[in-house]
Amino acid sequence: MCNSDSSLTGKYALITGCNRGIGKSILQHFAEKGVNIIACIRKKNEEFDVFCQKQMELNQISIHIFYADLLEEESVRQFVSDLYKSKLPVHILINNAGVVSKGLLPMTSMQQLKDVFQINFFSQVQITQGVSKIMMRQKCGVIINMASIGGMDAFPAYMSYGCSKAAIIYFTKTMSQELASYHIRVNAVAPSMTDTSMKEEMGELANMEIQRRCAIKGLIPVNDVAKIVLFLASDDSSFINGQIIRVDGGM
Amino acid sequence: MTNKEKYNEAFCNAFEINQDQLNGLKYQGIKLWDSVGHMTLVANLEDAFDIMMETDDIIDFSSYEKGMEILSTKYDVQF
Repeated sequence: MCNSDSSLTGKYALITGCNRGIGKSILQHFAEKGVNIIACIRKKNEEFDVFCQKQMELNQISIHIFYADLLEEESVRQFVSDLYKSKLPVHILINNAGVVSKGLLPMTSMQQLKDVFQINFFSQVQITQGVSKIMMRQKCGVIINMASIGGMDAFPAYMSYGCSKAAIIYFTKTMSQELASYHIRVNAVAPSMTDTSMKEEMGELANMEIQRRCAIKGLIPVNDVAKIVLFLASDDSSFINGQIIRVDGGM
Repeated sequence: MTNKEKYNEAFCNAFEINQDQLNGLKYQGIKLWDSVGHMTLVANLEDAFDIMMETDDIIDFSSYEKGMEILSTKYDVQF
């Protein structure tokens, strides 16, 4: 085992899409535990640079920022190659980046479907392929994928998004079996509607439907999701593997 | 250590075999060179030559000789 909540300090966590929303909250929670961060974001962002600088000073950690456009396979390949060249260890991988896509079936183009899968699924697989090899050599690691209740529960007009998240869920379960012998655990978190810009992207109708199905009403704070991720990354969850943890207020 | 020696060592360590068993060795030709052993071999080679092998090359790596061809043509490892 290479992590425990108290010994997360000094480890390295690679987080994709961590310049806003859930990813940014995860970054902050890990930073506060003394975890060094490898941030993978789409493009340079000065506000994020300032945020990272502050986290480094406050928590005495290092933050290494890489850029990759997950829509482009070549960009992801270059990122993984650069990561290898950096020689940084990766103890925790959080495949967090993702996009929302909506549209009824007749209004969903094949290109739209491919783009959603490229970002929400194929790029995550590509990154995991590279990072899992680093973890296999270390003989330890934790991978946490950001799924969604949309990958398990059906919502009209969310076919492309839901299918991509269902793919991530199956990927999580398969990888948890494949990588266990290397002491690498793989789990996923499946939030419902979180308090991020995604709620605007989802639209009012989807929000209302989700709220109707939830036992506990309201938007899920990003901190709640980040704390689950922190728990799954720690040795406190050393026998949790291949699980999809719903954070949905009881749907 | 020469590149050939490093290459051979990666195989011998991954599959617990001797150097005299290397010529003509093929994927799944011995018990330990299965899919899991293949990943161990790749990790050994990546460490030995400080490279990151592409997925297509990992799939194409079907024999001891083919591996040398891939490493020399695509990763600038000269034997």
